[in-house]
Amino acid sequence: MAQAKPQNKILTANRLRNGETVYYTAAGEWSPYVSEARIATTAEDADALAKIGAAAYAANTVIDVAVIDVNPGAGAKPSHIREVIRATGPTVRVDLNKSVAPPQR
Amino acid sequence: MYIYDQFDHAITKERVAEFSQQVSRRLTGELSEEQFRPLRLMNGLYLQLHAYMLRVAIPYGTLSSKQLHKLADIAKKYDRDYAHFTTRQNIQYNWIKLDQVPDLLAELASVEMHANQTSGNCIRNVTADQFAGVAGDEIEDPRIISEVIRQWSTFHPEFSFLPRKFKIAVTGAPKDRAAIQYHDIGIHIVKNDAGETGYAIYVGGGMGRTPVVAPLIKPFVARADLLSYLEACLRVYNLHGRRDNIYKARIKILVRDLGPAEYARQVEEMWPMTRAAGVDVPAGEVARIAAFFAPPAYDKILEPVAAFTAAKAKYSAFARWVQTNVHPHKVPGYGAVTISLKPIGGIPGDASSAQMHAIADMADTYSLGEVRVTHVQNLVLPNVKQADLFAVWQRLGEIGFAEGNVGLITDIIACPGLDYCSLANARSIPIAQRLSQKFADLDRQHNIGPLQIKISGCINACGHHHAGHIGILGVDKAGVELYQLTLGGAGDETASIGQLLGPGFTSEDIVGAVDKLVNTYLDLREKPSETFLEAYRRVGPAPFKESLYGRR
Amino acid sequence: MAVVDRNGPIADAWTRLADEEAVSKGASVIVSFARLKNEHNSLFSTAGAVGVEIPGDVNLDELEPFLPRLSVIVVRMATMRDGRAFSIGRLLRERYSYGADMRAVGDFIPDQILFLLRCGFTSFEVKDNFPIDSLKRSVAAYTAWYQRASDRATTVAELRQGANPNGGTS
Ligand code: HEM
Ligand code: SF4
Repeated sequence: MAQAKPQNKILTANRLRNGETVYYTAAGEWSPYVSEARIATTAEDADALAKIGAAAYAANTVIDVAVIDVNPGAGAKPSHIREVIRATGPTVRVDLNKSVAPPQR
Repeated sequence: MYIYDQFDHAITKERVAEFSQQVSRRLTGELSEEQFRPLRLMNGLYLQLHAYMLRVAIPYGTLSSKQLHKLADIAKKYDRDYAHFTTRQNIQYNWIKLDQVPDLLAELASVEMHANQTSGNCIRNVTADQFAGVAGDEIEDPRIISEVIRQWSTFHPEFSFLPRKFKIAVTGAPKDRAAIQYHDIGIHIVKNDAGETGYAIYVGGGMGRTPVVAPLIKPFVARADLLSYLEACLRVYNLHGRRDNIYKARIKILVRDLGPAEYARQVEEMWPMTRAAGVDVPAGEVARIAAFFAPPAYDKILEPVAAFTAAKAKYSAFARWVQTNVHPHKVPGYGAVTISLKPIGGIPGDASSAQMHAIADMADTYSLGEVRVTHVQNLVLPNVKQADLFAVWQRLGEIGFAEGNVGLITDIIACPGLDYCSLANARSIPIAQRLSQKFADLDRQHNIGPLQIKISGCINACGHHHAGHIGILGVDKAGVELYQLTLGGAGDETASIGQLLGPGFTSEDIVGAVDKLVNTYLDLREKPSETFLEAYRRVGPAPFKESLYGRR
Repeated sequence: MAVVDRNGPIADAWTRLADEEAVSKGASVIVSFARLKNEHNSLFSTAGAVGVEIPGDVNLDELEPFLPRLSVIVVRMATMRDGRAFSIGRLLRERYSYGADMRAVGDFIPDQILFLLRCGFTSFEVKDNFPIDSLKRSVAAYTAWYQRASDRATTVAELRQGANPNGGTS
């Protein structure tokens, strides 16, 4: 179906050094928590994220860089089940799952 | 078991040093990811959804108790206290950090283990029959030439950048317990008319998106010529295998396109040259390796063993477990115990550090220090005295691995699927868990009889679904996990490829659909001893299709 | 571009000729395989030394007649994953007994040079920033080999016969 608004997007990757799944934040850092991801709401924003991702890959900070779809609304919630699982962990070992948000400090 | 000498130790240490500096060069950026990727894959290091995954080789599926203890220690120290045994007799760790891999490899090397060539477009870890050396029907212990092949293929200068991965399996008995015809090269140990032992060579099998049962390329290669023949097989492939399309790059496509006869002819043409090059190892070296696999010192035991008979009579659950999980041993008074890593509702093939330590201890106490890994994701204690079987069963109960389901419907193979794997379309493990709960009732399992369910989370077919009596393939339909069913696959000496039944089922419906297939079989079988596979081969897919989709 | 051998950078005496470029008398030239096939008579009589660049899908039987008079064969690896070069090297050395310089060119990395050497290559055309330290480390990475290759290095099996005639373990 044609979408009136462009799909919201976030930038994700895995850290080169330890493989951890991370998300690019509004503060310009890579966070393990998907809820901290910077959300692109326009096509231009999404392009900007892709460029940031390519640069981080070239700088050997991260690998497997991807700009992925998230649901509309605040607080990044990945649209596809693959990315939902990637954000939290294996559904068959919930004891090992991580939260979508950082622990309260 | 094979024991490293100074040369094996040196090469393994040198490999750790080499890969360690490759890791450092990656971290400093001297190597780009494109350059490093083939190097890390050749060391079994993948990137999955959540972290790196390291695949450690268990050559031809044989482990010492000391090695298993080390694998358990590594799971605790470098991973999250568990690991996954795979269908290729490897073990996988799911939460590995790249910068810790050098230390991990050094620990592995200390127990004569490595992750060499467990991935990448090279000759992979050689697999073999899990009952090697203990099965009564064996012609020759397949581990001898498996070790010869392991050494020959390790850091092979010519065959480390093949068009695609290359898997070799060896089976030593008429009964194929290594699914050799689903391998790039399958080696069947045979005797010729003159009574000499040699090798029948099958080339060009495989799973993936184009499943192929390998054709016989050469009925008999003499022992002394095996490596030069393999080298000729590989060279023809390396030169002429397709490199333009990753889905057509396996040797099965080359053999299919040339035709088995033409491929065999080209190998014959190449063979004199590899022979003249001195590729074959001297007989003395084969004898040296063979000596490591000489039978251990077994006790002389008279059957029947009274304590064993009594325990079976007293505990019917134990008797049943023996029926499915204990394989006859060539030595009287012994049995080979398959430890099912498929507890009801569990994750097929997973074991915690504590469970691995416990099994290693049992191997020391009851199995002459040896453990095997099967291509069905189970473990084997190959040398257990019948008099000890009851104690083994009890101890297995304490660690949650006493399920008496080997070969039955809950002995399910499942790949990691979308819970871990970055290539997956759908989850595999939860389907396996729910199926195993659905069919938990052991009476029903025994009534159903031998039935293999194999589940893959995508068309790469790591879960062998093509070879499942019932195969389940996860697909992604517009973001929803769907599961397709195939019937009639087999991975043994009657190898066949399962046929797709029809449209896929949702995660909610797939368990019910399998139940319908099973009930259909129970209704139409001619007698209880007619297995699911036999019945399917007799009647074909129609009644099964009808049970799922109605009459069309 | 630079040329290295197993020890590091070496001087490159070769000129690469495009198919339409003329050959100077006495020059050391590398030409395409097509040109070699078409113009071998004039090439061998004019040039001082002749080399040829061959692609990965070459038919070596077609190259065979020229082998005794070739001074270098350049094998192109389309990418670092194009492993045909390794088999071509072994065939040239072991089946056709080619004895002169054999050069790899393409996107290979230092870690692959070790295997290329074992498959009969002797020189390598590389980018100017090719990491020579890594090259040197790579070629010295192993002290023993399990299998026979074109370099005829002693195999572990042979060392075992010498070191451990009774097949004992250390
Ligand atoms: C989770 C990471 C894994 C990845 C990325 C992966 C990747 C692949 C790919 C791409 C193929 C298809 C190869 C082809 O068609 O040419 C394949 C095949 C296969 N994999 Fe995996 N795999 C993984 C895990 C496993 C596991 C856990 C097992 C064992 C349980 C396994 C066993 C196999 C087998 C038996 C095949 C079929 C071999 C054949 O095609 O002949 N893999 N894998
Ligand atoms: S079959 Fe697909 S989903 Fe399963 S492990 Fe292999 S690549 Fe991953």
